Amino acid sequence: MRFHTPLSMCVVLSFTLCIPLASAQITPEEISTETMPEPGTNWFISKTSNGGYIFDASTGEMQGMLSLSRRTPAVTMWNPRREFYAAESYISRGVHGERTDIVAIYDFDNLRPVAEVVIPNHMARLSVRNHMGLMNNGRHLAVHNMNPGHSVSIVDVQDRVFIYEVSTPGCAVIMPVAESDFLQVCGDGTLQLIQLDLSGFEQNRVRSEVFFNVIDDAVYDRTTRSADGWFLVTHAGTIYEASTSGAIINISDGWSLLPADEEGWRPGGGEFISAHRQLGLLFVAMHEGEVDTHHEPGTEIWVFDVDTRRRIYRIELETPVNSLMVTQEDKPKLIVADKDGGTHVYDALTFVHERTIETPGASMFEDF
Amino acid sequence: MNIERIIDRGYYWIDENARKTSLALARRLSRRHFLSRLGMIIAGAAAFPLLPVARSFAQSSVEEVGDPQSCEYWRYCAMSGTLCSCCGGSYSSCPPGAEPSPITWVGTCRNPVDNRNYLMSYNDCCGKSVCSRCSCHNTEGDKPVYFNSNSSTVLWCFGTENTSYHCTVSLVLGTTDE
Repeated sequence: MRFHTPLSMCVVLSFTLCIPLASAQITPEEISTETMPEPGTNWFISKTSNGGYIFDASTGEMQGMLSLSRRTPAVTMWNPRREFYAAESYISRGVHGERTDIVAIYDFDNLRPVAEVVIPNHMARLSVRNHMGLMNNGRHLAVHNMNPGHSVSIVDVQDRVFIYEVSTPGCAVIMPVAESDFLQVCGDGTLQLIQLDLSGFEQNRVRSEVFFNVIDDAVYDRTTRSADGWFLVTHAGTIYEASTSGAIINISDGWSLLPADEEGWRPGGGEFISAHRQLGLLFVAMHEGEVDTHHEPGTEIWVFDVDTRRRIYRIELETPVNSLMVTQEDKPKLIVADKDGGTHVYDALTFVHERTIETPGASMFEDF
Repeated sequence: MNIERIIDRGYYWIDENARKTSLALARRLSRRHFLSRLGMIIAGAAAFPLLPVARSFAQSSVEEVGDPQSCEYWRYCAMSGTLCSCCGGSYSSCPPGAEPSPITWVGTCRNPVDNRNYLMSYNDCCGKSVCSRCSCHNTEGDKPVYFNSNSSTVLWCFGTENTSYHCTVSLVLGTTDE
């Protein structure tokens, strides 16, 4: 380069001197990793096929993510130990190779796996919230198996050991009741109660009277907790409440979700039913359809007062919903997953839509 | 004559005839001739359809109508999954490299050609990635997971070397009026 005049040389020199000076005034940034803040009200987990997205329903902000196996049935949190538990299934080469089923334990602060317990490779591998249940004050985790006979793996998540596999032929779903017991729905139209001892081994097993017919009108394998037990619903929309008194199974008389003058509506979808236990509110995704439309997403959400057994509101939806969950706060939120992958937050008392959150492929929600 | 004596006489008659026939055969036939005939009988017995399932396959083939790559195809009335017929297989065969699951769920579908109801077996093909073409979710007669023989939502890759799901086929087991 030749400088034709002293002036041009001056300009070039001033640039070469000034630019490094300007750069030197900025402190280089350093990468860092967040830790989880204390959980707020109305936090929830949105479970997709690749993990659990943790959100604050009040703000719509994502807080972090749990990486889960593709075939994880559900994930749950136990606040006193600040841990998450998820049943997971892995195949060593992705789609072929050795299969390993585990219960994975994640810490709350970093959402990282801190331990795992290998369980029999019999997990049902279906995305069903009640294929997993925590009992005995957060000590024993039950995981539903299907191989293809039904059974339940019991894991001590406190001592990180697999205890044993309970055979439960013809019965599925895990509905924890009392301290260390769980109810199941059975194909012969009964409920089964399995009572565990303090070590997690089966102590007693009881069957209820027959109260439904699986061929005529089956009880769904999607259930929700009530104040004293569990709500069950049939394909045609009859609600039962099941609870226990020691080794006795109590099943209430059934009542219909449909008012007497309305026909043709049915419950359905994925995790389509959820109750606020303290307020006695029941939320059910409903659609108009014939028999065998039980997987159809709901075009409306019906809200019931369970004490009076009356419908108190109908939420009409632009996009049909597959799954929903109401948080258990004093000012609860209704979280809804539509069939196109959208997640929506409603005020669960005023039923006003508050926001839409992007969680592609959300199949179910878990409360904190 | 009481019943026990009748039964005893029956057994005696069978024993006596078997003994006499065996002796007669032994006198008349060489050992090699006997073995060759026995082999023919065993081979014939294996080919002869003994079980109800095998009998249904022995009948003339089912007449088909419609597009096997469409979820509306008559065989798919209780199908849930992705169609192997869109993935290099057919309505009754797994795509190359996939492993058929021997354990299945069942349904009953009406064939519009002859208006007969057929008992269907839905077999998952396993051991490969999900073939995400031609998703099909029909729920005729579908039951919850606790009644798993009629539950289509279950992953039916049981009894296979690899348990990952690839796609599903639909086999006719027989007619419901048999």
